[in-house]
Amino acid sequence: MTTAVQLDGITKRFPGVLANDDVDLTVEQGTVHALLGENGAGKTTLMNILYGLYEPTDGRIVVDGDERSFESPRAAIDAGIGMIHQHFMLVEPMTVAENVTLGAEPRKWGGLAVDADAAVREVAALSEQYGLDVDPTAPVETLSVGVQQRTEILKALYRGADVLILDEPTAVLTPQEVEELLSIFDHLTDQGKTIIFITHKLGEAMAAADDITVLRDGQTIGSIAADDTSREALAEMMVGREVLLEIERPPVETGSTLLTVKNVSTPSQRGVPAVSDVSFSAHAGEIFGIAGVDGNGQRELIELLTGLSTPASGSIVFDGEVITHASRRERIERGIAYVPEDRHAQGLVMPFDLVENGLLGNQRTSSFANAGRIDWAACKEHASSIIEEYDVRPPNPSASAESLSGGNQQKFIVGRELARDPTLLIATHPTRGVDIGSTEFIHEQLLALREAGVAVVLVSSKLDEVRGLSDRMAVMHDGMFVDTVDPDAVTEEELGLLMAGEHPTGGEQ
Amino acid sequence: MTDSRWRALLQRIVYASTFERVVISLAALLLSILVGGVLILVSGRLTTCPTAAATYLGVGFCYDPITVFDRLFFGALGDPMNPLFRPFAGEFAPPFRAGWSPFNSEMAVTLRETAVLIFTGLSVAVAFRADVFNIGTQGQLVVGAITSAVSLTALGPVAPSGIAGSLLLIPAGLLAGAIAGGLYGAIPGALKAYADANEVITTIMLNFVAAKVALFLVSGPLQRADSQIAQTEPIPAAASIPSVLFDARTGFSLVALAVAVCTALACYYLLNHTTLGYELRTSGLQAAAARYAGVKTDRTIVGSLVLSGALGGLGGAIYVMMIVGDFQTGVPSYGFDGITVAILAGSNPLGVLLAAPLFGIIQSGSIVIDTTTNVPPQLVDVLRGLIVLFVAMPEFFRQFGRRFFEDDGGEIDG
Repeated sequence: MTTAVQLDGITKRFPGVLANDDVDLTVEQGTVHALLGENGAGKTTLMNILYGLYEPTDGRIVVDGDERSFESPRAAIDAGIGMIHQHFMLVEPMTVAENVTLGAEPRKWGGLAVDADAAVREVAALSEQYGLDVDPTAPVETLSVGVQQRTEILKALYRGADVLILDEPTAVLTPQEVEELLSIFDHLTDQGKTIIFITHKLGEAMAAADDITVLRDGQTIGSIAADDTSREALAEMMVGREVLLEIERPPVETGSTLLTVKNVSTPSQRGVPAVSDVSFSAHAGEIFGIAGVDGNGQRELIELLTGLSTPASGSIVFDGEVITHASRRERIERGIAYVPEDRHAQGLVMPFDLVENGLLGNQRTSSFANAGRIDWAACKEHASSIIEEYDVRPPNPSASAESLSGGNQQKFIVGRELARDPTLLIATHPTRGVDIGSTEFIHEQLLALREAGVAVVLVSSKLDEVRGLSDRMAVMHDGMFVDTVDPDAVTEEELGLLMAGEHPTGGEQ
Repeated sequence: MTDSRWRALLQRIVYASTFERVVISLAALLLSILVGGVLILVSGRLTTCPTAAATYLGVGFCYDPITVFDRLFFGALGDPMNPLFRPFAGEFAPPFRAGWSPFNSEMAVTLRETAVLIFTGLSVAVAFRADVFNIGTQGQLVVGAITSAVSLTALGPVAPSGIAGSLLLIPAGLLAGAIAGGLYGAIPGALKAYADANEVITTIMLNFVAAKVALFLVSGPLQRADSQIAQTEPIPAAASIPSVLFDARTGFSLVALAVAVCTALACYYLLNHTTLGYELRTSGLQAAAARYAGVKTDRTIVGSLVLSGALGGLGGAIYVMMIVGDFQTGVPSYGFDGITVAILAGSNPLGVLLAAPLFGIIQSGSIVIDTTTNVPPQLVDVLRGLIVLFVAMPEFFRQFGRRFFEDDGGEIDG
């Protein structure tokens, strides 16, 4: 076996941050190599260096036995390295063939015109060769996310990539699409291509990769063959300590109905319904889960519940009172806590320190602000107690929110929201981009709330999470609840179908 | 430099500490003096004059940069330095010139300009904190000034005389200016909040509206009875803010300066120690986070422009009651200078207290250069522009460069 890519002692220093510290990585040709690590471990930085987006501060890049230094992605592409980013870079109204050949179109008439037919032929041949099953003439905007991703792979292959780097490729896919992607990996490696993919999901690394390299805090922790390791061992390498992976949900007696949502609908900005005719209820001592692929109306539904928007029709009743049109302020005061989806834009004010962030949403609460005057001493005490109770690091209330890692930011938000002593907690993707250790902790907190008789509405695109935590679970597709299921009884296949909008028994809804 | 080096440099500026920012500002000031000095020498060579103002390395120059900058900075303070005080030569005479009084007329002009600039600087800074770029402070100042002048003239006959009259009229004049400026600021605020109209465009347009309407009023219905120029009736004597320690003819009042300083402290308190200020800053930094926290961001936008306009209007009232004694056309560009003051101050009300005096000195020092040297006023304007440009640029990049890094959220790994 030959070595396709070798990174030797790569160090990358940003002002104030050491993103990569003497990292080694060896990838054999024709294998799938997973780059595993928590958020902020330096995985993306390392791959951006290999792809020529960043210059390393120190270290050697060896591709196919030659030492290289890439000034730009163009140079990396020329050396046979292609990268598929988390956010696709496709021109939506153009066809697959046009997107794939963009900037390197086949020419005719002595180079004067684009040979569109040749483009379609070449792309179709490539798609066939690697089993990608993409229609070259379809406009990209009509394709599912999974097929768009395969279009990106085609783009890289068309430019002669032998090494494909994929950044968190499964984050946007349904379980079925993940399966398809993994079989595509097999097709590609069978024909000599090399794949490096970035992930923080243990199961995926185990299932897809031949070799796994674990990064932590910008350093290489180790490389290991996937067959020689276990999820527990990998988790320990990633976090640096033993982690409990399974969620245990003790039985809790469900109390009275706290939240009743009846037939709510709301249009999206484009006018099509973002939420249509959704009804459900949540009880004290219950976690009600909402599963689904991102972008199927979960965000809009949550905004209706939290008071960031109001429904066009339908009603919301909380604790016996109609709150359909109550303001966000009023809902906070009634005891609805909210862990928002986007902690950088909503949950925290990034340049503020933790004392100021602890006040977010509490700024009109009498214990922190009397007659419009803020009691900063009380706020500092509040922030310090959140930091202590929820183990936020660094334990410094005057650290700015932006200086914290994602996991610590999220722990702080969860701590702040739970400190409101809520009756109802609405949590959206509470562990997205959060490291395993913090995820475990946040799950414990949600379960503790449930035991304390709080109603929890949980939205997550992580199936394991939403299934493990929820007492009842709705699957959302295209603004509607396709079905409400028992998370312990439903199978992964059934869920996958529901998430794609198909009812396993009754056809498409 | 490569792209990433520029990025790293910008990042360094964006995340500079307060101490670093002060050092950067001082270094920029020094640099602007050096560049300006070269400019003075070059133009001094290109001009002909009977006797050289200075001779360096055997070459005569018509303008002397040392004199120019001495006039600009020390002239603005009324020449406090004792020429015999030369610490670098080992001579330690008393540092201040005998006969120098801090209450001289150059100092009065410096502080007079400073007082008005504190108000306009605060006006722009407060709006800036809410992420509203109020270029309309000039217009709000004009509206505040004319309203203050007209209401004082109307109140004059019914007000008591003497101290009692001043105690009534001065607060009334300030209040009238603040209310008028605030209402005028509410217009672009409402347009932005409820009709999504860009405040930069609307405030610029409203500056013209204010200036032209004021011109119409003072050259028509409100013109002083027997006057040839466009001015209103004079405000009652009791409404003039009394000068303390300084000569009344300089048009400067320590009382007004004290009011300006107190206003800055009040703004600081409002922004940093009240719920309103917290909500305003949160909306300014991250509107989505503010909405999450239950803040009605539309109202915050209107509120910040009302406050901003009121501060501009206060500046206008001070201008009328301290400097001119009536309203007349040709109001200096305090509102526009306020933008630079606010940028230099990093939109911090306490920073305004440091930035406004620098501009006050430059204004006053330029007059001293005009009257005491043969350097043409156009060149002085260039020098002033250079100083403003150099000193304001790092802060400008700091505030606008932030947007570059917001997409990343400062995170290295996605």
